[in-house]
Amino acid sequence: MVLCISLAVVCASPAIAGEPTEAIRKITDKIISIVKDPALQSPEKKGEKDRLIRAAAEEIFDREEMSRRTLARHWRKRTPAEREEFMVLFEDLLQQTYIDRVKGYSGEKVLYEGEKVEGNYALVKVDIMTKQETKIPVLYRLKKKKAGWFVYDLSIEGVSLINNYRTQFNSIIMQSSFKGLIEKLKEKVGKK
Amino acid sequence: MKKLDLELGVGLFMIAGILALGYLSVRLAKMEVFGQQGYELEAIFSNSGGLKPGASVVIAGVEVGRVKSIKLDDYQALIAIHLPSRVKIQDDSIASIKTKGLIGEKYVEITPGGSDIILKGGQKIRDTQAPVDLEQLISSYVFGKL
Repeated sequence: MVLCISLAVVCASPAIAGEPTEAIRKITDKIISIVKDPALQSPEKKGEKDRLIRAAAEEIFDREEMSRRTLARHWRKRTPAEREEFMVLFEDLLQQTYIDRVKGYSGEKVLYEGEKVEGNYALVKVDIMTKQETKIPVLYRLKKKKAGWFVYDLSIEGVSLINNYRTQFNSIIMQSSFKGLIEKLKEKVGKK
Repeated sequence: MKKLDLELGVGLFMIAGILALGYLSVRLAKMEVFGQQGYELEAIFSNSGGLKPGASVVIAGVEVGRVKSIKLDDYQALIAIHLPSRVKIQDDSIASIKTKGLIGEKYVEITPGGSDIILKGGQKIRDTQAPVDLEQLISSYVFGKL
């Protein structure tokens, strides 16, 4: 089953969209064009393709916000160096987990179903129509920073990515330590 | 004289019984006086999933508060929860509605966040998760386990 998460689809909805929706749409379109680019189809271009997709994702995902939210109450005690190390590993983890699904995009339609803005926070609702005509609801949560709107969480089928990792990271840290979490992340992404 | 004593005795016993019953009713119904040394927060869910007023609010498995009211607001569930003053909720906490066991009653779980901003009375928990069936399974499948 090709589970394309939001990042790889073509907008089919003519609904009025504000800044948050446009921010997501822009990166989504960019990533789709990278995935579909014929010049990047060959196996030796895999590394470059992955790097380009990651760079595009970094334009919309607020990695510090996401890292703070997943480490939650463990964030405050960490030094800037530890935080940086964690942020990189967390990004590696997300990349590793989702890149294949993103690259597996094969024309699924994405419908931008509307947004809700409250001050510096926004919700953007998106539906992904799979080939089997099933609808996957995706909800983006964005926060407005000086440079624009950035995503800090996304929920698929009502399950939040941040909450998922927050719970897992918390239980790993409680069972071992922050160092233990770092080690586990390194192991998972194949770094020493 | 004896009859008066007896009647007095029975009367006092009855009053004591009614008072005891009253006390027991209040305790059993868990009607704590809301607003006593606490504050309220709101949270909006796309679906309350059958959550009832009086349901528990839980952090790390520990009951810390109660659901005060559930109303429909703009076709979404607006839930008010009551928490004691000593329980601090960061503004990036996530509130989710979960089920006790697999088919038990619903309750609200809050996972604390990492923000330095603490929510004050009357404010809203922004990030919420409506109840999902077999949530953990889906979560692990969709997002992968570490």
